[in-house]
Amino acid sequence: MFLNFNFDIIGAWLVVLMTLSIFSYLYGDNIFYKSAEHIFIGVSAGYVFAITFWDQIYPNLLGRLFPSYVNAGYELELSYIVPFILGIFMILRLVPNLSWLARISIAYIVGMAAGLKFYVFINSNILTQIKSSAIDFNGSTLDVINQIIVLIGVLSGLVYFFFSKEHKGTIGKISKLGVYFLMIKFGASFGFAVMGRISLLIGRFEELLIYSSSEFNYATPIVSIIMIIVLGYWSFRDNKASENEDNATNELTR
Amino acid sequence: MKQLLIKLGNVDRRWIFILIGLSVLIPLLKPDWIRMPVKTTTNTEIVFNEISNLEENDKVLISFEYGASTKPEIHPMAIALLNQLFSKGIKVYIISLWPEGVIMAKDVVTQVEKSGVFDLEDGLNYVMFDYKVGGEIVIKNIASDFRGIYMQDINKKFIQDIPMMEGIESVEDFDFVFDLSAGVPGNAEWVQYACDPKNVPLSSGCTSIMVTDAIPYVESGQLRGILAGMPGAAEYENLVYNFMINQNNNKYILDDGKIYPGKATSRMSAQSLAHVVMVIFIVFGNISYYLKRKRKD
Repeated sequence: MFLNFNFDIIGAWLVVLMTLSIFSYLYGDNIFYKSAEHIFIGVSAGYVFAITFWDQIYPNLLGRLFPSYVNAGYELELSYIVPFILGIFMILRLVPNLSWLARISIAYIVGMAAGLKFYVFINSNILTQIKSSAIDFNGSTLDVINQIIVLIGVLSGLVYFFFSKEHKGTIGKISKLGVYFLMIKFGASFGFAVMGRISLLIGRFEELLIYSSSEFNYATPIVSIIMIIVLGYWSFRDNKASENEDNATNELTR
Repeated sequence: MKQLLIKLGNVDRRWIFILIGLSVLIPLLKPDWIRMPVKTTTNTEIVFNEISNLEENDKVLISFEYGASTKPEIHPMAIALLNQLFSKGIKVYIISLWPEGVIMAKDVVTQVEKSGVFDLEDGLNYVMFDYKVGGEIVIKNIASDFRGIYMQDINKKFIQDIPMMEGIESVEDFDFVFDLSAGVPGNAEWVQYACDPKNVPLSSGCTSIMVTDAIPYVESGQLRGILAGMPGAAEYENLVYNFMINQNNNKYILDDGKIYPGKATSRMSAQSLAHVVMVIFIVFGNISYYLKRKRKD
């Protein structure tokens, strides 16, 4: 029987190899896991660099600075020299003598981000949330009860983070109530996090099952068997090496 | 019995991995063995109703902010969303704010096209744009000047040559925004930088881990419902599937196209069984811990 190979099948084999390599960490740190980890980081960095340059820097920046060379639909906009220079300053971080110039770019980014965030956060996360924490007595009884609970939770949670007064007496009791509300929130977050991780596991298993068919030349079972053999041999050799090391130490002690 | 429970607390973690693995694998291998009913929650219903209320030729902006790592949760939502939008003749505008978002968006559109349910044409029914780096800065720009960021679509076609781009200048020119997100930038950034200030309706489909942070926006109406992780995807898939199979004489759904229920529904059995196994471990772990502490005292 001749095995079929095309780019789809090669891709499937790589998917299986990478997935099982990462899963192999559950057994212990090993060469498959380490290789997959490094490949993942290298490929991700390369992909992000390439896509950022061709989809953003090339059309949006160079397209405005050199419209006659880069036809991205923009006209010449000299103000874009500023981000161009700031970008170069960032790269100069690699040159020790000029690395201080990068601070100007970083200062710009931090300042601009803080300024932007300040306004939107006050509007969407503080004012609107305060408004929605208010009780609407026109709603149904259950809605009103729900809103009262939310309001109590918000106020007691805030009291817990109020450190200007010692948490004793009434303040202490309210802040303790706030802790319970916070714990419920953290518990819900943790539950959702676990659910998310299981979903990802399901996704990986589903793909491994698809790639175990004859259409993909039984990629999953073949790669699994090879990995189990290699890991078994590696583990056996490791045990033997540590045994020899122990024997040598014993010999020396004698 | 006590001894056994104490021993259970010291079980090698690899046994737990194997049991969790099996609890996921068995329902996937034998889906008929375990069938879990999918009950629709209010937040999913709100999303479905919001999209249902849109009119033919309305414009919906979809932002893809997830990658391969969160594909199992969000991909089914994206497919179901496009199915619902296309079956109502709504124009779809796709952008990506995550590097892998473009790959995900292309895959979703290809799957919907390949299903043969709709007669779709790039530039007429939908338009897709490249990935743009910058997260919230891009969102802020879309809110005020869409064309300052996007002058060409993903095929490098100028937007003035794309008929469905006529009149699109900012986020206010869209009738609805839908965010499919797995982190930052995500629904919070869309609320803060675009949809709240410009008063454009927004819904979101997100990973389970993001739900607790997004719920306050849902409660305040800043987000019109939310699809929460895989259960949300399964619920929404069911609603869209039931809607589509009950459509008679819908001019957008082709007669020879086959409508399939999505993948999230079939994954829910595995999800539920894994949760049951985990709850059992948590209960036994706590009993074992309690007994050990009691013995020490």
